[in-house]
Amino acid sequence: MRRLVFIFAAYLLCACSADKKADYSDVHDISDLKGHSVAVSMGSSYDLMLSEMGGVNLVRLGVSELLLAVESGRAEFCIMDQIQAGMLNLADRGLEIRIRDILKGTAAAGFNKTDTQLQAEFNAYLRNLKESGEYDRWSERWLSRPDSMADEALLLTRKTAGSGSRVLKVGITINYPYIFYKEGGLTGMELDLMNRFCFYAGYGTDFQVTDFSALIPALNSRKIDVIVSHMRVTEERAQKVLFSDPYLQGGGAAVCRTSKTVSAKLRKGPWDRLKSSWRRNLVEEKRWKLLASGLLVTLEISLYSILAAIVAGVILCRLRMGRSKSIRKTASAFIGLVRGIPLLVILMIMFYVVFASASVTALTVTVVSFGIYYGAYFGEVFRMGMESVDRGQWEAGLALGLGKFQTFSKIILPQALTRIIPVFKGEVITLIKTTSVVGYVAVMDLTKASDILRSTTLDALFPLLLVTLVYIVLSQLTGWGLDALDRRFTPKNRKS
Amino acid sequence: MIKVRHLKKVFRTPQGEDLTVLSDINCDIAKGEVISIIGPSGTGKSTLLRCLNRLEEPTSGSIEVDGTDILDRATDISRIRRRMGMVFQNFNLFEHLTVLDNITLCPMTLLGKSREEAESRGMELLEAVGLHDKAGNLPCELSGGQKQRVAIARCLAMEPDIILFDEPTSALDPTMVSEVLAVIRHLASQGMTMCIVSHEMQFVRDVSTRILFLYDGVVYEEGTPEQIFDNPQKPVTRAFINRIRTFEARLENRRFDLYGLFGKIHTFCAKYGVVGATLDKVQHVTEEMLCGIMPFNGPVVLTMEYSEKTSVLSLTFTEEKPDGPILKGLDEDSLSLLMVRGMSRSVSEKEDGVVKVEI
Repeated sequence: MRRLVFIFAAYLLCACSADKKADYSDVHDISDLKGHSVAVSMGSSYDLMLSEMGGVNLVRLGVSELLLAVESGRAEFCIMDQIQAGMLNLADRGLEIRIRDILKGTAAAGFNKTDTQLQAEFNAYLRNLKESGEYDRWSERWLSRPDSMADEALLLTRKTAGSGSRVLKVGITINYPYIFYKEGGLTGMELDLMNRFCFYAGYGTDFQVTDFSALIPALNSRKIDVIVSHMRVTEERAQKVLFSDPYLQGGGAAVCRTSKTVSAKLRKGPWDRLKSSWRRNLVEEKRWKLLASGLLVTLEISLYSILAAIVAGVILCRLRMGRSKSIRKTASAFIGLVRGIPLLVILMIMFYVVFASASVTALTVTVVSFGIYYGAYFGEVFRMGMESVDRGQWEAGLALGLGKFQTFSKIILPQALTRIIPVFKGEVITLIKTTSVVGYVAVMDLTKASDILRSTTLDALFPLLLVTLVYIVLSQLTGWGLDALDRRFTPKNRKS
Repeated sequence: MIKVRHLKKVFRTPQGEDLTVLSDINCDIAKGEVISIIGPSGTGKSTLLRCLNRLEEPTSGSIEVDGTDILDRATDISRIRRRMGMVFQNFNLFEHLTVLDNITLCPMTLLGKSREEAESRGMELLEAVGLHDKAGNLPCELSGGQKQRVAIARCLAMEPDIILFDEPTSALDPTMVSEVLAVIRHLASQGMTMCIVSHEMQFVRDVSTRILFLYDGVVYEEGTPEQIFDNPQKPVTRAFINRIRTFEARLENRRFDLYGLFGKIHTFCAKYGVVGATLDKVQHVTEEMLCGIMPFNGPVVLTMEYSEKTSVLSLTFTEEKPDGPILKGLDEDSLSLLMVRGMSRSVSEKEDGVVKVEI
């Protein structure tokens, strides 16, 4: 309970802060950004451009964090898509657009270099759409009434998902209004375009939410077939990606905090902010469903990973305590190696190298990686537990005529467990919390879901606090569960 | 019942050296016998016991139990162990089980007894060792003596043909030794076959039918308690039984370090409780003998023996290069000799150049 109070205190504190006055009226051009801090999407063309220009204090973030960075004061400016910026009610948030039409250019779909056939089909479809005039009507409707279009697109998504002769794996990045979540489903302008194309060409779709910076590696390792993520066509990218004809015109807008005083009426109190955040992030368009599905994935990954890690741990523990010296040394070296590599790196290597070509799901890759990584830790915990049981206990069991396995299961294991469980508890809770990195390999767990929620509602803090709360509850429940198990094996409690 | 032939056990030290603990053990144990294994520390008494139920793998030799070779790979060793109980120095009660569960676990798993049967037998045994009221306690709530009695009851629950006791009282505090020994004595009186490794000499003497004295990896001497305790035949046995402690110093010539020697003597005597007037006498005798009587034709060896059993201290002065008798060559009125005689029980020269003084 104390934790809860603390979090909400922190929330209120954040909500009330960030009221510094700022005046950026002298900024008219990109070159004026020199000397300022600017948040950009990592790996985006704005990132490349500003890096080249130099003199700018760059803050590289995910797409969904850009506005948050400006609102919270971590960056003075952020550069985002100008269509998106125009659709958001920036004034309400105390923000304004300072520079428009940054790096005007076109966005196109990206294919694997070898996939010319698919590129040709897509181009043909696009040409057809443009020539018939359908394209202009379609884009106009999207830009003027995105919400009603989103509902339509949602229906189409459900229709095309998984059907068709070939299922296209489409790499996408959540970014309103191109791709976003609504009522627990994916929708958006680009997604709509892709759906229409697949519907027309007879493909099924499998949309995979991926970080922007991971899109091209994923395409090259065949984790996805096509990138549809308003990716700008640049020379460098064209070397790695086979681009289609452009389907969107785009440019960036630099957003900063407004210099105008926000009227008292618009400025809400913290309580009202909390209430509207609640409504916007959970109630509206049934967005809670997104979090719920993320939570399910987190639970699923945690459960399987724990089981896999226990199996790996038992095997490693057995090898580590075995009779042969060389096997003991090998197992110990393996444990040392695994513990020396960051989990995220193991996950990436598994995803992009080891299982790159194999047709296994990201979920399996995740469970295997977690199984190996935590297996190394669990193995050492198990060994510690086994070694803490006195040798005499083995001897007493054997001398009474029990077999080796009987001695182990009836005498050694129950005693080892009372020593293992308290340490094990900590490791399991760490594992559950660490599952939050699986978003890197396009698994939509609870943390990823909250990222998506943030990029949809562009509400910074609330989803984060919400998932924090969920993780705390998960950890507590796990802790209680294992405590109960511990009590079962501790003889003092069992006696009466 | 048990026949041990040419048993050899070699341990490999962590440094990779071979350490022969048992070199050639031959012995027999018949039904109804109470065999005690005694001997100095490190002579492999426990190892021998642990080889009998193969907690240690013998290096070579043979052990037969009722005609079955237990070192044979095909032998089901667990089946043999069920009939050979073992009581450990450190009790080794199952820490996670209550006293009663410790006793009933194996009869239920291995002998197929029902819980009721096993528990009623368990309670009988607990009553027999005087711990009826501790049935529901955990081992950590018992004293050492109580734990060992439970361990004995746990063995008895398997209805063994023989019980091996591996220093059953060594880890106990002296006040608890007698309660455990009383239980073992009681078992002996009921005709239980037992094999005991112990340092409790009085107990061993009372309870055993036969004693094996282990030394240097072999059964060095073997016999009834009377033979071993009252009339040991071999020197090491004698020294062990009489608890004789020795001290030896070799003095090169007359200009040896007398005060250094006194220091060493002092330490040795202090260790065995020889203090005060006796210690003074030892020092005076040593000084007179070495400075007045011994001719120092060559180096002189001083050997001091102290029997803890009889409290007799004997000093032996040996000329390495004797040149005829020493005492006879002395003047009867020699002041040194008079002083030595005055301070000791006896002074004698059994052979030329070897003078023995008893204090």
